[in-house]
Amino acid sequence: MMRHLVREWRFLLGQNNVVILLCLCCALSSFAIYSGHQEIVAQHFTIERLQLAQQQDQQDILAKHKTPGSLAYYQFHLTYQTPSHLSFAALGDRDLYPWKHRIRMLALEGQIYESDVANPELAYIGKFDFSFLISVLAPLFVILMLHDIIANERNKGRYELLVVTASGSIVLWGYKTLVRFLALSLSMLAPFYIGSALNDVPLYDVLHVSILVLAYLAFWAALTLWFGRQSIFAPRIAATLIGFWVAVTCVIPITGNLLIEKNIEVPKGSEILLLQREIVNQAWDIPAETSLTEFVKTHPEYRVYTEMSEGFHWKWYYAFQQLGDQAVAHLAFDYRNAILTKFDLGGYIAMFAPPVLMRRQLSRMAQTDVISALRYEQSIRDFHQALRLYYYPYLFELHLFDESTLADMPQYSDFARL
Amino acid sequence: MKQNLQSIQPVIMWKIARDEWRYWFRSKLAVVALLIGLTCTMLTVVVSVGDAFELEHQRGHAQQQSEQTFVNQPDRHPHRMVHYGHYVFKTPPPLGMVDPGVDSHTGNTIFLEGHRQNSATFADQKQSSGTTILGALTPAFVLQVLAPLLLVIMGYGVVSRERETQTLSILAAQGLGYGNLILGKISALLLVAMLMLLPLAISGIVVLSQGESLLTLSLFLVGYLLYLSIWILIIVSISLWAKSNSVSFSTLAFTWLVLCILMPRVATTVAGVMVPAAGKLEKDFAVVAELRQLGDGHNAKDKAFVQLEAELLKKHKVNRVEDLPLNFRGFVALKSEAEITSILNRYAEDRMHEELRQSFFARQFGWLSPQVALRTLSMLTAGTGLETHHRFLRETENLRFNFVQRLNQAHTNKLNYIDDMNRNKSEAAGQIARISAKNWNVIEGFKFRSSPSKERALQAMTPLAQLLLWFGMFGLFLRNLQRHYS
Repeated sequence: MMRHLVREWRFLLGQNNVVILLCLCCALSSFAIYSGHQEIVAQHFTIERLQLAQQQDQQDILAKHKTPGSLAYYQFHLTYQTPSHLSFAALGDRDLYPWKHRIRMLALEGQIYESDVANPELAYIGKFDFSFLISVLAPLFVILMLHDIIANERNKGRYELLVVTASGSIVLWGYKTLVRFLALSLSMLAPFYIGSALNDVPLYDVLHVSILVLAYLAFWAALTLWFGRQSIFAPRIAATLIGFWVAVTCVIPITGNLLIEKNIEVPKGSEILLLQREIVNQAWDIPAETSLTEFVKTHPEYRVYTEMSEGFHWKWYYAFQQLGDQAVAHLAFDYRNAILTKFDLGGYIAMFAPPVLMRRQLSRMAQTDVISALRYEQSIRDFHQALRLYYYPYLFELHLFDESTLADMPQYSDFARL
Repeated sequence: MKQNLQSIQPVIMWKIARDEWRYWFRSKLAVVALLIGLTCTMLTVVVSVGDAFELEHQRGHAQQQSEQTFVNQPDRHPHRMVHYGHYVFKTPPPLGMVDPGVDSHTGNTIFLEGHRQNSATFADQKQSSGTTILGALTPAFVLQVLAPLLLVIMGYGVVSRERETQTLSILAAQGLGYGNLILGKISALLLVAMLMLLPLAISGIVVLSQGESLLTLSLFLVGYLLYLSIWILIIVSISLWAKSNSVSFSTLAFTWLVLCILMPRVATTVAGVMVPAAGKLEKDFAVVAELRQLGDGHNAKDKAFVQLEAELLKKHKVNRVEDLPLNFRGFVALKSEAEITSILNRYAEDRMHEELRQSFFARQFGWLSPQVALRTLSMLTAGTGLETHHRFLRETENLRFNFVQRLNQAHTNKLNYIDDMNRNKSEAAGQIARISAKNWNVIEGFKFRSSPSKERALQAMTPLAQLLLWFGMFGLFLRNLQRHYS
């Protein structure tokens, strides 16, 4: 067997266009890994810089604001989602969904949709990363490399001769295909292994990705060979295969997306914001007791503390902030749910579109997809809720607020999740 | 060369083009490709135009509602209205129907309030099913990416086929000349390209009726025609150069892959690495640090305003703030809003500048790929590029500053200082510290429009030059090849 493989490898090295294609694959993969790695390093640095700036800001705020009410009003809290080890290979939707955010104790629904994301023009065109290389480009390389293996021999008139003299079709086509397939896969996987080493990716994940990639490319190779036997006319084989590729990368996903768009109603985001604003602002025009009575329905422990001695009290202020969130909670839930439903339905479409399936698998593993973005959002919500629960006893003056109590303030890092 | 020109005969050219079409109709692959191309462009044009009208209606309606709600607010303390704020919506430009550009990736709603510049929220793409990895269902995508591939599938064999079946030498022997042959083949492919562009041209009528200028629309259409012509030149050149059909097809498919799929993304990725841009959050920290020096505009007793107070007292020759002919709290709000805004604007401009630098860098790849060049031209003429989004941000900021300052003006002139200071003493005092709802009439109807057509046309000159260069390059290349063979 080794003898056959070595022979085919020598043949391969003799074919200039195949060698060029292999070099290109390796170069593209290296570029994808390098730029992905740079991007992730930059994201880590950004988070570090933000943490530093946050500390500085925190000190200034703490020095200036001593009462819980004004501290909660002026203190922004930094939240962020650290990129996973594998994200260098699948940057995913981190250029679309925010992974860093600052929030404060006001109504959360008015803040959480703000997003600090990258340049929209670059995001619109999309980035070139390893997952794109594998799921979209690699099939084309497989097609270009394998479609004419049989047709070429036929065209050159050697086909009959080869079939008669060789001991079997595996010896004839199998080794040749195997060598080309392995060379192509390794040319793209090798840079990924280097990237994985640089990013401390667990061995298990490296294996998982390798198997996914090999299986995916094997699918395309099998398809190409199967088509390749149907015709002697190489361009027709390639054109049909590329047509199939267009169908599964563009036509099916785009049509499927259209069907989902037309059938799943997403509540308008702006309605959440507008309603929330109405509720929060109308609190200033109605008696304070009304808001506080409403508030203690969810926090009965403050029932006896709703008296207001002045026209303004922080407890009332934060109580109606929470009422604003409560009033739109169902809308906001529906909004997130609709996004998740769409994403899940997209999973069914991916069943018929292997490139989409591959990309989703990789970004799921790298935790850079919608699910991770929503988890991050949920972590902000949890953290915000914890902040409220921390501040309320001080705002309602059950306890005295001083320097020592600051240590108990919730920290975002305890809520972070991927 | 002169001889070549003289020997060009339109009748023969036409016959060759007709023969090519006949061949296509006999070949299953070409017919399928043509049908797919036409259906895709037609379908996307119909769907996109329909969607655009719905979007326009929705956002226009939301805008009106938002303005009405603002004006209908009851009597309040003016600063309450500063924080009540206002929502604006971005309506897409007429050509956005065929090329929505960055619209799906930028938010289309902004909340405008005092002392803050919020970002645009609710980008449509965030609600997508996550299935579209190569592009969205727009005529722009179909014509920029899929149309060249279909032209490749139909045209890879225009010359190489004749060579492989050895009809090429027969044609040449009949005194036909390579010039005529090539021009004939080009015309045949050009007709295909025109057919694919037809739905786009027809949608142009709708676009014109929506108020787009003829100048930008023509530039837009010329850009697409030029682009497809470049592809035709590439296809015929390679078909002429290639030794066999197989080589011709593989080379063309590979070229398409590099120019249409690979290059655009390499461009953005390189731009991202080479021109890093700090996010809004990082800038916000810097803004906060600067603002802290300014003092809190909510608190007229802030140390930062002591000097302002002294100047004002001196100017009006009174000893106490209470005796000033204006409300000092409102005055402080007015002054500090102006200062905050100038700082915020400086950082916002900085950020936009960085983003533009990134985009400019990415757009330079138009010299390396006609697809990048056309995409830039298309977005810029349509008014759906980064520049237009920035224009939206600037215009809304202008709107924000104006209404906030008019409210602060009312705060300064129409609300008594002592009433204002006592506003939190009791609920009754709070009722007194209000001004009439008539003062809420400070927002004009907002309708976002992209920049004037001449400006957009000028911006599109660089990508147009890139396309012309590609056209000239392959035109020359083809002529040299043809001379080489004849």
